[in-house]
Amino acid sequence: MERALNRLPKWMKRWEWILVLLILMVYAIFSQLQPDNYTLPKLLNQTRVYMVDVGFMALGILVVLILGDIDISIAATAALSATVMAVSYNQGAGIPFIAAIALMLLTGAVCGLVNGLLVTRFPELFPMIITLSTQTLYRGIAYIILKDQSAGRFPSWFAKDLGYGSFKLFGLDVPIMLVCILAVLPIYYIWLHKSASGRRIFAAGTNLTASRYSGIRTGRIKVMAFTLNGIMAAVGGFFLTSRTGSVKYTLATGFEMQAIAIAVLGGASTSGGRGSVIGLLLALILMTGLKNGLMLVYNDAFILNLSIGLLLILIVLIPNLAGRLRQQNALRRQRLSLQKT
Amino acid sequence: MPEQTKKTGALSAFFKQREVGLAIILLVLFFLVGLRNPAFTTGSNALFILEDTAIMMILALGMLCVLLVGSIDISIAAVMALSSMTAGIVMKQNLNITELQVLTDGVMSNVTLRESTPLILLILIGMGVGAVCGAINGLLIAYGRVLPIVATLGMQYILYGISHVVSDGQAIYRKDMPDAFINFSRGTFLGLNSKIWLMLAVFAVMFLFLTYSRRGRYLYAVGSNRESAAMSGIKSPRSTLLAHIIMGMLAGLAGLLYASRDTKVTQDLAMGYEMYVIASCVIGGVSVSGGRGKAVGVLLGALTMGVINNALTMLRLTGNSEFWKKAIQGALILSAVVINVLIQRAKERRVLRDRRI
Repeated sequence: MERALNRLPKWMKRWEWILVLLILMVYAIFSQLQPDNYTLPKLLNQTRVYMVDVGFMALGILVVLILGDIDISIAATAALSATVMAVSYNQGAGIPFIAAIALMLLTGAVCGLVNGLLVTRFPELFPMIITLSTQTLYRGIAYIILKDQSAGRFPSWFAKDLGYGSFKLFGLDVPIMLVCILAVLPIYYIWLHKSASGRRIFAAGTNLTASRYSGIRTGRIKVMAFTLNGIMAAVGGFFLTSRTGSVKYTLATGFEMQAIAIAVLGGASTSGGRGSVIGLLLALILMTGLKNGLMLVYNDAFILNLSIGLLLILIVLIPNLAGRLRQQNALRRQRLSLQKT
Repeated sequence: MPEQTKKTGALSAFFKQREVGLAIILLVLFFLVGLRNPAFTTGSNALFILEDTAIMMILALGMLCVLLVGSIDISIAAVMALSSMTAGIVMKQNLNITELQVLTDGVMSNVTLRESTPLILLILIGMGVGAVCGAINGLLIAYGRVLPIVATLGMQYILYGISHVVSDGQAIYRKDMPDAFINFSRGTFLGLNSKIWLMLAVFAVMFLFLTYSRRGRYLYAVGSNRESAAMSGIKSPRSTLLAHIIMGMLAGLAGLLYASRDTKVTQDLAMGYEMYVIASCVIGGVSVSGGRGKAVGVLLGALTMGVINNALTMLRLTGNSEFWKKAIQGALILSAVVINVLIQRAKERRVLRDRRI
C-alpha cells in the first residue's frame, strides 16, 4: 500500500484530489437525502450566495496567507468600502455610480495599504494583532459614516441584474456574479502560479530571510500583497452589496473567518509558503455544496457552522496524523534494517 | 566603577522593566482623562474600572499561558458560551422556588427563595466544560499538529454550534437563575466586589505558577525555543496541552461570571471578546511568538483596555458615548500597541549604545 502510493506520479498525489473526492461525496449524500431540492440547477443558483463574495475575499487573503501573514480586517474593509460606495453615490455630491465604484476600490486599497505598511514597519507586532485593531478601526469609520442607518437605492443593473440576473447557458441559468469570479480565477492562477512575481510571493512565504538575501524586495511584496488583499475585499463587499441591496456598518461580519477557512481548506497554510488557486476553487465548490445541503436538511446556521468547523479541523488533522504515522513507520523500518546489519 | 553601578542597579532595573513603562502610560492616561472629567479620577471610579475589567483580566491571564507556549486561542468566547450555557441548563432544571412569609419589624412580608444546584457545583461544571474544550484544543494543536489559529477557529464554530444544540435555541434568563448564582458576581467582601477577589486569586495562583513552579517555567522554555526545550528533556506537547487546559478552565470561570453579571446566557454570549483579550495581552507586553510575557504586564494591559473603555464613556464627547466607543476604540488600541513598540525600540537602542561605550 505504502509502496504503491509512493510509485504514483506526483500530480496524482496532490491535495486537490481529496477535495474532489469530498465534493463528490457531499453531492452523493445530499442528492440522496433531498432529491428534489438538491439538484444541479438549484445549486448553480445558490452559488451567488455561497461562492462569489467570500470567494473574492478568499482570493485576496490567499496571497497574504502564502506570505505567512494573516489579515483579520478584510470583512471590515469590505464593509467600509461598500459604505463609501453607497454614501458617495446616494448622499454625497451625487457622483456617477462608476466613480463611486472607483472610490470603493480606492478605499479597499488604502485599507490594505495601511495594514501592509504597519505590518512591514512594525515586525515586532504580529499581523494578527495589527489587523485585529485595524478591523475595529475600519468598522468604526463605517459606523461614523452610516451610524445605525442603512444605505440603499442603487442603479438597477447593480442591484437587480448583477445581484439576481443570470445567463442562459446549455439550458442552465448561470448567475452573472458566478461568471465574474470564474473569469477572474484563471488570471489569478496564471499570475500567482506561473508568473515571476507570483513565484516571488511563494519564495518570500517559504523563507523570508533567504528570499531577501537572494534579492527579493520582501517588504515591498508584503505591502503589495496587503493592498491587493484590500482591493479584493472591497470587490467582495461590492458583490455582497449587489446581493443584499443595502449597506449597513455590520456588512460581512464574520466573513474574514469564512475566507480564511476556505483558503486553508484549499491547501493554504497559515505558516506560509503554501496555497493554490485551484484548491481554493475546489474548496469554494465544496463549501457551496455542503452549506446548501446542510441548510436544506437542518435550516439552521449554527449547525452549518458546526459542520464547517468540524470539516476544517478534520481536513487539516487527518493528513497530519497520516504523515506522522508514515514518519513513525519509516523510523521503525530504519531501526529494523539497522538491527539486521 | 562597579560600586556605582551596584548602587543605581536596583532602581534602574526597576525602571527598565517593560511593565513599569506601561504603568506610567496608564497613569498619564488616567490623569489626562481626569483633567477633562474630575469624576474619572475618583477612587470609586477606579474601583469600578477594576470591577469592570476583572473578567477580561481572568481571561487575559489564561491567554498569557497559551501565548507563552507560542499558541493562540480564538475560541475562548465560544468556550465561555458553552460552559455558561451548560451550567445554566443545570441550574434551570434544578431550580426550586419557595415562597416564605417572614415577620420583619412586626410586618409580614413575602420572601421568595430561589434555590438550585449549589454554586460551587455550578462553578465546577462550568470550569470542567471549559477544561474539556481547552484539552481538545490542546490535543489538536500539540499532538495533531494543527496550526493553533486553524484549530481554535474550527473549535469556535463547533462550540457555538454545540451550545446552540444543547440549549435548543433557548436563552437562560434571570428567572431561571438561583439567588446564589445571581449574587456570584455581585457579592462584596471587605468592600471589594467578588469579581475583583476572584481575579486577584487567579492572578496570585498564575503569578506563583508562572514564576516559581517548574511546570510554569517550562511554558517559557517551550515558547522561547521549542527545540532546545525538547533537548533538555521538556515534553513540549505536554506544556502546550497544559496551557490550553488552563485557558479553558479560566474561560469557563469567566463565562459564569459574565453570565451572572448580565443575568442572561445566550448562545452567542461574549462573541468577539477573544479579540479584546488578545489585544490586552499584547498591550501588556506578551509576545505572540511565545516565550515572553508576565502576569503583571497582562493585568496592566487589561487595565489599559478597561481605562480606554471607561474613559471613552467618561470623556463625554459630543453625542452618544457608545457611538464614540465603537468608532475610536480600534484606533486607541492600535496606538497603545504601537507606542509600546516604540518605547521598546528606544530602550533597545539605549542598551546597544551603553554596550558600545
